[in-house]
Amino acid sequence: MTDLLVPLPIALPLAAAAILLIFAHVWSARAPDAIAIFVSLATAAVCGLLLPRAAQAPIAYWFGGWQPHHGLTLGIGFVIDQANALIALFIALLFSATFVFARGYMPEIGSHFQVLMLLMMTGMIGFCLTHDLFNMFVWFEVMSVAAFALTALRLEASALEGALNFTVVNGIGSYLMLAGIGLIYARAGALDFSAIARSVSKAGGDPVLTAAFCLVVIALLIKAAIVPFQFWLSDAHAVAPSPVSVIFSGAMVSVALYGAAKLYRQVFAGDPPVDFTMHHLMLGMGAASAVIGGLMCLWQRHLKRLLAFSTIAHIGIMLVGISLPSAAGTMGMMVYLFGHGLVKASAFMIAGILLATYGGVDEIGLRGLARPIWPAGIVLALAGLLLGGAPIGIMGEGASLIGSAASKPGDLWAFAAITFASALTGGAVLRAAGRIFLGLGRVPGDEALAPTEPEAERHRPFWPMFAPCAVLVAAALAGGGSVVRLVQHAAGSFVHPDAAGVLRGAASLARGDIGPLPPDLHPLVPWCGFALAIGLAAWDLSRQYLPHRLHESARMLAVPLRLTLDAAHNGIIGDYVTWMIAGLAVMAAVLALT
Amino acid sequence: MIALLPWLVAAWLLGIGLYGIVTSRNYIHLIGCLNVVQSATYVILLCVGYRWNAGPPIFDPHPPGTPAVDPVVQALVLTDIVIGATVAALLLALAVQLHKRKGTLDPEALRPMR
Amino acid sequence: MNRIARLTLFAVSMLVLTAATIVVATHMPTFGSHPLPYGDAVNSLVPPARHISNMVSAVNFDVRGLDTLGEEFMLVCAVTGTVVLLRGTRGEQLTSRPAGMHGRLNAPRSDAQVLTGRLLGPLILLFGLYVVVHATVTPGGGFQGGVIIGSGLLLLYLCEEYRTWRWFMRSRWLNACEGGGALVFVLAGLAPMCQGAHFLQNVMPLGEFRDLLSGGLMQIVNAGVACAVLGGFALVFLEFLEETREPRDEA
Repeated sequence: MTDLLVPLPIALPLAAAAILLIFAHVWSARAPDAIAIFVSLATAAVCGLLLPRAAQAPIAYWFGGWQPHHGLTLGIGFVIDQANALIALFIALLFSATFVFARGYMPEIGSHFQVLMLLMMTGMIGFCLTHDLFNMFVWFEVMSVAAFALTALRLEASALEGALNFTVVNGIGSYLMLAGIGLIYARAGALDFSAIARSVSKAGGDPVLTAAFCLVVIALLIKAAIVPFQFWLSDAHAVAPSPVSVIFSGAMVSVALYGAAKLYRQVFAGDPPVDFTMHHLMLGMGAASAVIGGLMCLWQRHLKRLLAFSTIAHIGIMLVGISLPSAAGTMGMMVYLFGHGLVKASAFMIAGILLATYGGVDEIGLRGLARPIWPAGIVLALAGLLLGGAPIGIMGEGASLIGSAASKPGDLWAFAAITFASALTGGAVLRAAGRIFLGLGRVPGDEALAPTEPEAERHRPFWPMFAPCAVLVAAALAGGGSVVRLVQHAAGSFVHPDAAGVLRGAASLARGDIGPLPPDLHPLVPWCGFALAIGLAAWDLSRQYLPHRLHESARMLAVPLRLTLDAAHNGIIGDYVTWMIAGLAVMAAVLALT
Repeated sequence: MIALLPWLVAAWLLGIGLYGIVTSRNYIHLIGCLNVVQSATYVILLCVGYRWNAGPPIFDPHPPGTPAVDPVVQALVLTDIVIGATVAALLLALAVQLHKRKGTLDPEALRPMR
Repeated sequence: MNRIARLTLFAVSMLVLTAATIVVATHMPTFGSHPLPYGDAVNSLVPPARHISNMVSAVNFDVRGLDTLGEEFMLVCAVTGTVVLLRGTRGEQLTSRPAGMHGRLNAPRSDAQVLTGRLLGPLILLFGLYVVVHATVTPGGGFQGGVIIGSGLLLLYLCEEYRTWRWFMRSRWLNACEGGGALVFVLAGLAPMCQGAHFLQNVMPLGEFRDLLSGGLMQIVNAGVACAVLGGFALVFLEFLEETREPRDEA
């Protein structure tokens, strides 16, 4: 039975996309929406059926019947452990919610929107489940190309420009990844994760494998929008259609970071330069992403651009989680993945609702206008509270796990950075909620200088758009305890995979164990960050009541930093690629010198 | 030295392609440079699978068992070529639509949301 | 960043990367004489196991067939995206008048052009089919053959009237060709599961070594890929040529 289920999360959406392509012009205009919702729910059901089996013992499945031959992996294998299955289930459910949200989105392009979304879902699920490096690259490309096409769907000039920047930067990333795969194949002579891991443990610090890790992980970090590779994200998010932005922030960037974590833990973990780079350089990059994302978030007025920078900040927090040596950091990252995905998806859905109802997402332009749709305001405020670091719900649990992993004396600065970043993003979203839905904050601060542009979407009814949004944020609030239990059970097989079992050709693998976790943080600590978030929102919204000199001097303090960061995010592709190469050079230098 | 040549050629292609992208003033030129970057990956993959004095991995008319180069990297390069062609088509479509709307293809003049 | 700052940062990064490249290149396995365990295993195990002589096709359609499935659908993604981008909101127009643009002459085809096209077209089609069908025996396969036949369709545009081109190239047929080819691939993968085998496992009769019909399931997968690639490239050609049509050109 398990053997029948394993290929289905890939095969079902692929078949549905092909059928939609052939027959959509024959069926009614509502058929593609219904089929897309049905297929994504069916995929979620299959992942749900695989989950308990994977929890008992990770499943190894070889496509084409090509089992490993005397320890040599010939075919492509899928290894479904509990972590993979959970993330695949999450992706499928998020896509179902998005399809419900996007019903009737762009009827003039027929079924092409659903085809591209279904193929993006397949790419993401395949990326998570696969155990072969080149197969991972192929699904990564499927996911990327669908994303490129979806970003430009609205066909306005800014959408096309954003899509161009996105495509070129990520295209270079893909070619870097291919180069890395070539280097790995040269040294390891195999493409399966377990076989490469065996080579890495035998080779110990080989420059070829280390360079390959550098190239492949940089490609994944480009997709995950880590500083200095993050410039494309704000451009692409701001112009993509809202259902597509929901998927980008809710799943795509997190899944890319999960891939990087998998690559490190399951393949390259024994290589000394790689270990050093993870624990020092990547920790720094994660903290820098978090702080830069948070600061830029505070200085935005276009709601989608604000949320895009907030995504960069939270992805930085997740990278901090996986760079920390303790397994609690990786566990925290996985919990945070689910929590942040749910919250950010619902926030982007609110942005979509505002676009469809009022024809704009400019925070200052919409001030006070959205009072009639106050349930959306409650959801946005809740999203802001959760993003700001409130120790409730899934995000709160994830943050506390990452925090406890970072509470060693040498890593405390990282912990301070991520708490500060959370507070910044939460404050910005709370400020946006207060301004748009309550009409507060008559005097704008620096965010008035941020770029914005008018945009609009087709008017759609409120309640069908709002329902999935409310469900997602309710799940993010209520699911904390159960998600932590599931991830704790799953982390063992993720951090200590059974490579020998895979190479033997076993269908059922041994489960790993992560050992004891570090002690929890003092319960008062998360509330400090949360208080800072509320304080920031209150400060920004009550500018008219504060003495002029006070908030002017506070603004003056931030001006040099704001101008520098704004100048860096200038939209010129040459600059973006130069920063990317600079980042590549820094990582290469750090790896070479250790 | 001859043993280093394939890798140096690949690195050169990568470098010159990236230089072209960084200094490009026309999006069509930029797409061409992206293809040059991709050619570097073809060179790396195919040279990894090469073997001196071996024939192609197609056993017709010589029988199976004769020395042959690695067919796996050739299959990977086939996939790579398809990716390159399709991404280039997508980028060119974007450039065409952008030119229709803005009248220019200069990356310095075309910035999202400014 | 102004131009000088950008070039400086780029130059410094490239210097560092050049040093790193030299270090890596000197540690790479000796070019042309290092062990290739995966390739050698495929070369020795696949001919007796699958009765075919083209190892590249074997790797593409059988040993690493899932990669090709993903790549096939990536092609579908890119073609769909290109079609949506170029077609925009005008939808598909089925007229027989060629597109008109300012300053571009719509010259009638000369007799020599038409004759050359009618001679070469069937030859290209035949050659493309030859390449597709001989996937398991000689260099070739669905991808290569599909692109050759697609280029032959472009010859149709060059050498016949626009009316003829447009009559052939209807996006519904091309969508069916592309989607159908991709669907055949997925179904070919799912079918072995009905017999209790794994996805895409080669359970069909394998034929004789070096025979045109050897390879079992690979033949079906190959045909599916050829259809999908043909449909995809033809759609891209159609949309690029149609895109110059302005809305006011419609009769």
